[in-house]
Formats: sequence, C-alpha cells, structure tokens
Amino acid sequence: MKKKNIPTIGLFLLLNFVFIVPSLNAQQATKLTDPEVASVAVTANQIDIDYAGIAQKKSTNSEVLNFAKTMINDHKAVIAQAVALTKKLNVTPQTNALTKKLLADANKTQKQLKAKKGVDFDKAYINNEVAYHKAVIDAVEKVLIPETDNAELKALLENVVPALKTHLSHAEMLQKTMNK
Amino acid sequence: MKTNKQLMIVVRLMLAFVYAVYGCTPVSNNNTVKQHKTDTVEIKQMAFSPATITVNKGDTIVFINHDLVDHDITEENKKLWSSSPLHPGQSWSKIFTEPANYFCSLHVVMKGKVVVQ
Repeated sequence: MKKKNIPTIGLFLLLNFVFIVPSLNAQQATKLTDPEVASVAVTANQIDIDYAGIAQKKSTNSEVLNFAKTMINDHKAVIAQAVALTKKLNVTPQTNALTKKLLADANKTQKQLKAKKGVDFDKAYINNEVAYHKAVIDAVEKVLIPETDNAELKALLENVVPALKTHLSHAEMLQKTMNK
Repeated sequence: MKTNKQLMIVVRLMLAFVYAVYGCTPVSNNNTVKQHKTDTVEIKQMAFSPATITVNKGDTIVFINHDLVDHDITEENKKLWSSSPLHPGQSWSKIFTEPANYFCSLHVVMKGKVVVQ
C-alpha cells in the first residue's frame, strides 16, 4: 500500500509557502537593496548545504547521499560566484529581516530532520528538498530577480534558476521512488 | 655526387612524411579518403546541447562544460564509461563507435543521446 507522507509534505509546504514566500513578497513594499539580495541569495544556498550536511550524517541511501553531495557542491559553487561578484562590485552582503527569517525557519526544519532516522529521515529530507526548492525558485523568479538593480547580480540569479529547477526535478524523482 | 645524394634524402623524407600523414587515414573500398570529424556538445543551463547528436562511426565528440557547476558524462544503461567531473570551463572528448544514451551522474535528470550511423 502506498504510504503518502502527507503530514510531512503539508508541513514543509506550509513552512515554505506560508512563511517564506509571503515574507519575500512583503518585502516588495520596502524594496530589497542589492547587498540585501546578495545576503538572501548566499543564505538560501547555505541553508541547503546545511540540510545536505545532515543527510550525509544520517542517511545510508546511496541515491540520497549522491543527491546531498550534489547539493553541497552546486550550492557552494553558487556561493563562490556570488562572493566573487560582490567583491568585484565592492558590495558587502547585508543581513536583513528576510535573511533572519530564512535562518530561523531553517533552524526549525533542521531540528525536525535531526529527530528522524532511517527511511523516515530520507523521506523527510527529500520532501523538504522538493518544498524548499519550489519556494526558492518562486522567490528568486518573483522577488530577487525583479528587485535587483545591478545587471551582473541579476544575470547570476537568472543563471542559477536552471540549476535550482534541475535540483527540484532530481528531488521529485527521488520522492516518487520513495513513495512507491 | 654529393648534391644528388642530398636530393635523394630530401625526396625520401618527403615520401615518408606523405606516408605518415595519409598512409594511416582510413580508406573506404572505393578509395575515397574518409576523414573522422570532431563534433561538440555544450553543457549549459543544466542541459546537453544538442541533446541528441548523430555522428559517423569513429567520430569524436568534445563535451564542454559552460555551466556554473560541475557535470560529468556517464553511459546510462550499464555505466560502461564515464568522464571524471568537469569543472566549469573544462572539456572531455570521446571517440564513438557505438550509439549511446548518457547522463550526468551528478544531476541524474540531465540526459543525452549519441546516434552512430
């Protein structure tokens, strides 16, 4: 019998779509500056690296471990590009309310992930990756890109979207396999 | 005469050069020279471009990573061959004598196909 982890999916969708996206959209009243956009971008990438770090410690599933390794490598590469660009532009990423909100939500999710074991952990991690990437893609496309003034920073954000969408497809493929 | 000997040496060297260059080139039954080509598959925006490429047997394909992140090229069905991870800007080439379905083992939803005719 197929076991759909609806409460978990619902929880993460709730966390990400009810809290993160509206938080980002609320920022439109007070437009994010480019240093703030850079801070949000770096933080969002670091959060997914941290989730993957937990997966590397807790999972024994080779497909999950491969996915986690890719998340770490790819998001580190994006952070390196963002940091290089901010140095070039002489911009210092500026912590803001949204950065803090992202970190607070991530802290709660990390605690939930750390409390799980085995297959339950794998499912929770992958469900979160699906929900998190959907929320981040939405935020990057609808808030960060439109609110960025600098052309190079905007181009970097635009170039990151295909990677995020590929991560989402990869996570959804694993999610489908796990829920068979 | 010394000059004739030198001339003969030059002629022999030239013949050796011509043989070295053209003697190893595959020649089809109708004696037309068949040159192997080199084609390129670009990796950009998290996709292989073109996703399907048709080559002649023995042609080389160069895969170039123009993306922000690492990728590899791995035979999909039996994992018969694989490149090492290519960093952005790096390339890898392979001579194709058989058709192949391949993918990026780091991003398993990225797929490509080589048709050999």
